[in-house]
Amino acid sequence: MRKLLKKDLPRLIEWLKTSYLLYGPTEYGFAPIADHTPELITPIRPPKGIFFPQYQVLFRYDGKVPKSKGIGLFGVRPCDAKGLLILNRIFTQGPYRDNYWQDQYQSGIIIGIGCNQPQPTCFCHWFGIGPFGKEGCDLFLTDIGDGFLIEAVSKKGEDLISSFDPLLPPTDQDLKRRDEIVARAEAQLKDGIDPKLIKERLDNLWESPIWGELAERCLSCALCTYLCPTCHCFDIQDEEKARVRIWDSCLFPLFTQEASGHNPRPEIRDRLRQRIMHKFNYLYLQYKEAGCVGCGRCVIFCPVNLDLRELMRRILDEG
Amino acid sequence: MELRSRIRELFQKGEIGSLIGYGRGTLPLSARPIFITEGGVDQLIFDITCGVNLAKYLLRKKPIAGQKVGIICKGCDGRAIIQYLTEGQLNREDVYIIGISCPGMIDPNRVREKVRGRVVTNYQMNGEEITLSGDGFQLTLPREDLLSRSCLRCRYPSPPIYDTFIGSPKDRVEIQDEYRSVAEIESLPAAERWNYFQSEFGRCIRCYACRNSCPFCYCDVCFVDQTNPQWFGKGVELTDTIIFHLVRALHTAGRCVDCGSCERACPMGIKLTLLSKRMEREVRERFDYIPGLSVEETPPMAAYREDDPQEFIQ
Repeated sequence: MRKLLKKDLPRLIEWLKTSYLLYGPTEYGFAPIADHTPELITPIRPPKGIFFPQYQVLFRYDGKVPKSKGIGLFGVRPCDAKGLLILNRIFTQGPYRDNYWQDQYQSGIIIGIGCNQPQPTCFCHWFGIGPFGKEGCDLFLTDIGDGFLIEAVSKKGEDLISSFDPLLPPTDQDLKRRDEIVARAEAQLKDGIDPKLIKERLDNLWESPIWGELAERCLSCALCTYLCPTCHCFDIQDEEKARVRIWDSCLFPLFTQEASGHNPRPEIRDRLRQRIMHKFNYLYLQYKEAGCVGCGRCVIFCPVNLDLRELMRRILDEG
Repeated sequence: MELRSRIRELFQKGEIGSLIGYGRGTLPLSARPIFITEGGVDQLIFDITCGVNLAKYLLRKKPIAGQKVGIICKGCDGRAIIQYLTEGQLNREDVYIIGISCPGMIDPNRVREKVRGRVVTNYQMNGEEITLSGDGFQLTLPREDLLSRSCLRCRYPSPPIYDTFIGSPKDRVEIQDEYRSVAEIESLPAAERWNYFQSEFGRCIRCYACRNSCPFCYCDVCFVDQTNPQWFGKGVELTDTIIFHLVRALHTAGRCVDCGSCERACPMGIKLTLLSKRMEREVRERFDYIPGLSVEETPPMAAYREDDPQEFIQ
């Protein structure tokens, strides 16, 4: 544990930029940090698209190979860092290994930051993350007012930070302040739900009327999918000079449309059920963890207020 | 509340068998579409958070046992219904239109822009001002800063047709500069216009929340979803996203009632109605037509008149 004074933050950023193509938060998403210190906000889009781009050239027919440098993500919230970790598991530890993801994610570095002020739409604690969850980070920052406490979470993080000079040892006062901030933030996230229970209840809810009721309101757009830190379904297309992969969403009818014209999930009901089952039942079955990190983006942005938290509580009541 | 007692009465008299309306959402300043029978009347609300255009749900909801589907209609919901009738998408006798005057709806994107990360837990309207409050802050803003851009230039707060009305219908509002946003962009040099469109539409994530909340995007298979042939790329390359938005604007020209649902639904805060407003002006100037006002009038894209402007034929 070390301390970085706020005035030294630009130095840390510049220093990280010597080793990594460094991205930081902006209002709309993570973007390369140019010449200013990023404002540590939570962007509308999670960082998944940095390692798993919405539009990604897999290979080109003209022989040109897209190349990239190691990416550093600065100012990643605990939910988003965990989201990347879940994606990493799916892309590299399941039956198949996705080289495109693996190359990008594993050559990168993730610098997380705790959430001193969780929002009412945050429910990361349901998934064992919490406002100061460090899982999935290499380095972790806590804002204690006059500076940040920096903690190395992984060996990669330790190696990196041990050669950065301007760090101070934290005082007892700093640590006490950190404990207060953490306690205050954690106290704001109450009334959790156990994802294991959700998984079990969903086992019995395939034919539940819940899906039809939700489908009445759902617009069947992909807003929730595309803003989700863990949704990862994609399509592959051939373009003029390249084969590309692009994000896809189970809420689109085209997602399961077969060449014959048959669609096994013709109704919004079927597609919504797929989304929920995949996240909270199938993924749990495979990895003992749900495909949700409680970031609240789908809750905040859904145009018709389909609130996932409400749905989860309903599932617990009905199952 | 007059709304609830009137709706309960409609159920009791058998005028409607089901209702599409608004209920309270789970977030501060949010409402949600609800689908109720008589038992759900106490969930009904109507205030400045009820922005979602409900008309589109009529295409999914059919009368049950011969009983009409009631629908709460602001001006733009009602105009969308009229447009559906002219497009042959609805039977007038299946629908029971419950008119209500619209105070103008807030745009969640504009609220987010103003409160910047702080959480609104309450709001209050005082005439032309709206006070937002939350943990440790209070922000009083003129309503123009928070309302949907479409609502600020809306001429028709009440639906042109209805079966019953809650409160009293508001007259048409005279708006002088409803195409101001379009004119501002048009006055820029081409390079600046292009920069502007790049920065707006470059943010598009192709989630189609705009399309799917639009009352007039009801095609069985949208042109972007066609696969044989596939007309253009499905990724987020700028040319592809811009083609999507331009073609959608063309396809809704002479039909769009500027309800602003697309713009409020966009998570990336793209000013989508700029394109639709531009097309609305075009149709108005060339064909003297405003969509969603009359069931009798044939929409210009479905009609031919000898005096149609056709200077492109030389």
